[in-house]
Amino acid sequence: MQASSVQPVFKLELNHKVTPGIVTVAKYDGAHSCLTASAGYDKIIIHHPHGGMISGRAQRSSAHGEVSELNLSQAVIALATGPIKPDCNRDMLLIGSPTQILAYDVHDNSDLFFKEAPDCVNVIIVGYFGKYNEILVIVGGNSSVLALNWEGNEIFWNVVSGKVCSMITFDFDRDGENELLIGCEDSYIKVLKNNQFIMELAETGPVLCLSQISDVRFAYGIANGTIGIYEEGIRLWRVKSKQNAVSLRWSGDSLACCWANGRIDWRDGTGRVHRRVQMRSNAAAMLLADYRSIGVPDLVCISDRGEVLGYPPVQENMGMNTTSNKLANEEDRLAVTELLNKKQALMVELQHYEANASSMNQDLERSTTAMPTSTKLQVAVAADTDEGCLQLAISTNNSTIVRVALVLAEGIFESGETLARHPNSTQLKSLLYVPLEPPRDVPVDVHIKALVGYPESEQFHIFELTKQLPRFSMYTMLSTSIVKTKIDSYVSFRITERVQRICIWINQNFLLDEEIDLENEDTRELHISFLCLRDRSRVDLDFGADGQVKFTTHDIRLAGDLIQSLAIYLNLSDLQSLARFPEAEEKLRSEMNIVSEVGETRYRLAAETAEKAQLITALLPAAQDAASYDLKEMLNRYKDVILLNEELLTSCHIRRATQEQAVASLKNLHTILQQAARLRVGKYSKAVITACRAAVSDNNTEALVKILQAGDT
Amino acid sequence: MDYDLARIDYTLCGVTYPDALKILPSTDQKVQQKFAVGDKNGVLQCLSIKDEEPVVHFKTLPGKPITSVQLASSVGTNADKIFAASGNEVKGYTKKGKVFFSIETSVSETITSMIYIFRCVLGNDLILCSGRTVTLYRELQEIYCYVCEDRVLDAIAFATRNRNRIRILVLIANKEALIIENGNMQKRTHISAGPTRFIVPHSLPTSEVYAFYGAVDGSTGLISYDESELSAKCLVEGCGLGSIMCVGWFTNNSGTHLAVGRHDGSIQLYLVSMDDLSEKPRLKFTYFSGEPVTSVCGGCIGTDEPELLVTTFSGRIFGLRSSRLIASSNKTSGEALATRRSKLESEVSRLEKQTANEREKYKKITRSSFSGVSAPPLLDIQHELSGATHNGWQEAKITSAVPLDMLFVYCDSQLEIQTDNAAVLSTCAPQEYNRTELLTSIRCQAGTRRVWLRMRIVNFEDTKMEGTRVLVYILPAGAPRVARVIKFHLPILPHYSKYESLEIEENKRPWCELQVSGGFSVAEITSWLTDVLPGELPRPANKVSFARSHSFLGTSLICKYQRGSAVFKSDNISTIVILKNFISNCCLKRNIREEISFDVPEDFCVTSFQLLKDKFKSEYQRKKEMDIKKAISSLDLDEMTINDETMPILCEDYLLIYNSSDINNTETNFDELTETVTKWYVDWWKLYSTESFVNNDDLKTLQNVLKNCQLDEVENIMDFKQKSSQNAKINYY
Repeated sequence: MQASSVQPVFKLELNHKVTPGIVTVAKYDGAHSCLTASAGYDKIIIHHPHGGMISGRAQRSSAHGEVSELNLSQAVIALATGPIKPDCNRDMLLIGSPTQILAYDVHDNSDLFFKEAPDCVNVIIVGYFGKYNEILVIVGGNSSVLALNWEGNEIFWNVVSGKVCSMITFDFDRDGENELLIGCEDSYIKVLKNNQFIMELAETGPVLCLSQISDVRFAYGIANGTIGIYEEGIRLWRVKSKQNAVSLRWSGDSLACCWANGRIDWRDGTGRVHRRVQMRSNAAAMLLADYRSIGVPDLVCISDRGEVLGYPPVQENMGMNTTSNKLANEEDRLAVTELLNKKQALMVELQHYEANASSMNQDLERSTTAMPTSTKLQVAVAADTDEGCLQLAISTNNSTIVRVALVLAEGIFESGETLARHPNSTQLKSLLYVPLEPPRDVPVDVHIKALVGYPESEQFHIFELTKQLPRFSMYTMLSTSIVKTKIDSYVSFRITERVQRICIWINQNFLLDEEIDLENEDTRELHISFLCLRDRSRVDLDFGADGQVKFTTHDIRLAGDLIQSLAIYLNLSDLQSLARFPEAEEKLRSEMNIVSEVGETRYRLAAETAEKAQLITALLPAAQDAASYDLKEMLNRYKDVILLNEELLTSCHIRRATQEQAVASLKNLHTILQQAARLRVGKYSKAVITACRAAVSDNNTEALVKILQAGDT
Repeated sequence: MDYDLARIDYTLCGVTYPDALKILPSTDQKVQQKFAVGDKNGVLQCLSIKDEEPVVHFKTLPGKPITSVQLASSVGTNADKIFAASGNEVKGYTKKGKVFFSIETSVSETITSMIYIFRCVLGNDLILCSGRTVTLYRELQEIYCYVCEDRVLDAIAFATRNRNRIRILVLIANKEALIIENGNMQKRTHISAGPTRFIVPHSLPTSEVYAFYGAVDGSTGLISYDESELSAKCLVEGCGLGSIMCVGWFTNNSGTHLAVGRHDGSIQLYLVSMDDLSEKPRLKFTYFSGEPVTSVCGGCIGTDEPELLVTTFSGRIFGLRSSRLIASSNKTSGEALATRRSKLESEVSRLEKQTANEREKYKKITRSSFSGVSAPPLLDIQHELSGATHNGWQEAKITSAVPLDMLFVYCDSQLEIQTDNAAVLSTCAPQEYNRTELLTSIRCQAGTRRVWLRMRIVNFEDTKMEGTRVLVYILPAGAPRVARVIKFHLPILPHYSKYESLEIEENKRPWCELQVSGGFSVAEITSWLTDVLPGELPRPANKVSFARSHSFLGTSLICKYQRGSAVFKSDNISTIVILKNFISNCCLKRNIREEISFDVPEDFCVTSFQLLKDKFKSEYQRKKEMDIKKAISSLDLDEMTINDETMPILCEDYLLIYNSSDINNTETNFDELTETVTKWYVDWWKLYSTESFVNNDDLKTLQNVLKNCQLDEVENIMDFKQKSSQNAKINYY
């Protein structure tokens, strides 16, 4: 329980503000570490304590002697470094701005490459990936990932369902090749292998940080304050805090976590905090770097006011050697404290049982704490088509009432992590309904705490239950008698699987009043319909006798989810399908139009702007010159300057608006492409992405529609 | 931190109340001291520590909760007699555990309230505080009994100069300290910090009245009395730490230290200069135990060197000993420690088995069809609610003996709510569309035993006819799986939390008066007033009178009532309006005929505004400064360049504002103040001139000039004398 504090081994001030998250450490000369950070909008600072004055574009900072400043004309969104240049051990600096990526060799003061990034730049990492034997620069955008080599050539590209918030390269399936882990804004951690998504881990909020821990484990942090560790796709533990984690690093044998408010804590293998420190202001970043040049990386923590603190990885062991005797004693004492904690808890529990036993003999019916011992709590989930939600029914089996019901689950409530029900004192009953509306189609564990007693009780008994909602719980079965309405959106494919197994899949993934059962062994086909509780739309699943399957729904996303779920269940490695989603196709066409239009206007606008800017630069000195001979002339010229300037400003606004529109359209486009890919499995899915990339760059809308319909044929 | 003290856990006992641990003086043969501790189960035990292992010298049978433990401090002999108070009884024990003294007092009516303190001084005198009374017993005979205005918190006895009388210094819950002699109050003083506990320096002669106190706001100070004047002085500010629950002495080779234990679990040592008591004590040590501390005492417990002995609310007893001592402890103690650990381990595993058995038994009962009753005892939970601070927050403190898992807060009207940083607060939408209610769950960190909640009522209307009821369900982390519900009650006028003496009535203020007469009893009106005012009200008596003041505006409220009639006086007209509406509504509900009349001075608005003027001006200034600071900060200037003296960017005034580190004070109350003044104006029209209503244009101009702080204009509008004469003229014509 006792968390000790630690002293830093080094401490320095940068005398610059630091933008949170945009910090990195690199060896620009191949030997000495330099802290590099964004210090406000377009300024990059490089701290070089080990000498090696940086020349070229970087200027010496007036606020700190060991800091150089590098000014760009664009905002700095992301920084990354790595020895990407072949046969060179010097780190290159990669600077991500909203629409472009610049690779810069700090030591030589030269640009390696410059690349436009129409889909924005959110995250840049540098690392080995898959079979590629050169170090890649991987860029995460608003709805895509892009890999570049050292010359700026595109190596691969893929679409992601949401904005990329974090990425690491990590050997997820332990085959000796790195996979790419992507933390998305839409609450998924995705694993990309061989340009194919092999796994999606559903989380409960935007995944802000990812960090490798060991060969098999990685840590993650979410925007709702949760941090945790995964091992081979299984979550080992997680804890939730009020703050968001800025960075997670494995240091020594513990997980160091840096929180946004400037607190840093070290956690052991089970997530228990054993050390903590508090920085003087909010945290900007935490990195692992050998900043003292001693051969072992220290934890380097940077606050947003430019304070830098260094902590060595294993401090306990260092102390152990000097006074082992003292520490053995210390350990015993801590154990004693812990044992007494345990003893206290046990004694309290025992006392309660004893008091309970003694009160049992007396007739204490309906005392303020009592409840019949035979009370049981039952929980059921039922679809409520009128309200468009699921109703969680909590009931007791006797005259006791459910005073409070607390439902704890993450990611399914609009606000916070709980949903509470506390009926009016006049409406207390032994049955209580709690409405649930899971917004996404993922399996959810709902934890229920119900307080049971009598209306006038002062103390209630707590009943705890956990209920799992299946993935497609928001779809309720329709009786086959209801007449089909015509839906012309569908996806069809062929599988060779017995209908019996399909039944099991449906029973597992849908919330059914009673499990569906086939009439006899010989049944070869299955036709079943569901109603979506969210928008009351209809979904038909038809499994034909010849292996032909057809999912009819207007929702292309749902069709993709169903196919992915079924493919995982049936262990299908590849699946090709035919799709017909007129709505999606229509949208695809319009977005493609916008994208290509915007592209044209942008070039035109850029040209105009450049022209006007040139005019201004010519007019200004002319106006100044005129001041010496003709004041009237000068005034006229200045008026022209002002006029031009205003025009420039308006065109700037227009450019910004078109840019925003372009980004939004691109995002929509990518979403549709991703949905199209999800209608297929394995190599077909990958082929869709590759074909789409080609079609988009060719601006070939009809090809895209065709790919959406038939996959890459 | 100067000292390096480390925790050593000794043993456990039941839930303890403040001041239920005492260290016995050392005997001639041994340096190591024994200590006595009494708990809620009624067990008094006398222990000593050998090789970090507790040795029980005697232990009584369980009984009524022990609320205080004291040692006899008879002059000359060694104070080795232990006195324990439980219920209305006091028992004296010798150090062998024999009862030599027992008294069942007549303070029966206050026994239910669990807060009383008792001290035994000067031989055979026994002074007992219970509820609101201080009673002196001599040779088991009651000599006198003094009834205070509020709960008695702590008392210390001194001798007078000529040593023939006892002089008692008493702390009362209304933030007053009293000197009582011969059953009469000699002197009183108000200490705004709100002292809870005090302690006398050892070295002083018993006739000199000096005492260190620890207060609700976390500060410590010194009370002194020099025959003519009783005065108090704050020595150390609270520094944001919790309220002080206990104080004690700790002496080591660097001097005497005042030890304080707080509600938030912190324990601090302050080095006190014995030559000059009023010198500011120096902080030497801080430790966080994580749960409320109920006693702190210094003495030689485990070794021959002094250490600090601590008990917590849940019943942990541990020492804080110098780490140097721990490090140098020899091999034998290391072995002893190891055996102790293994002994404890086996005990815990035995207990685990036993608990598992019981759990199984309990489960069996729940599964059987036999319909028994499961009625576990109530969880040990203490709670209190403070009066509102200047911006309207009321703080509820909840202390539990077992670790907490979650709290669930329910209120049928809208509340703003805040809690500990460590806890995760999650509020969900109301159960039905369009309802105003609060459903909040608070998930605590592991091991939390104390939580505070801050609540503030949104949308205050004076048509509100009852206080706000808040239900807090407390769910403990471990077994037994039961949740206790605690009801808090937020009053209609939460700001009137400061107790005042009735003398304020003589102050020259624009008093508004409300007289009510009707067929109500004192008990009825008391129960009505609990809905209006925070804190405890005086118990019903023949004639009750008390005064309170507003924690932010400083306005006063005087209540005087008896059977059938009540008078309320205040220099805040809005308060009177609220009271009037409320009481007439209460009478209506009870079917009581009442007559209400009021008396409002004509110049009320002007004079009361003049009283508020300075505050108004300073708040206006503060608001302006904050606006400027906000503007400067949003410029996003570089810290370095701003503070660079050679290259000034900002002018001096702005620099001063920018650098003023008023970070935690980002709220101004200017808006509240303008609202209050406008309300006064409206309410004055309501009460004073029944025939004409407030002019809307006037109101708007008033709001405008208030906003711009045009004080003369405000006074012009508020000055009714002129206006009413004009009105009169109009009427006349």
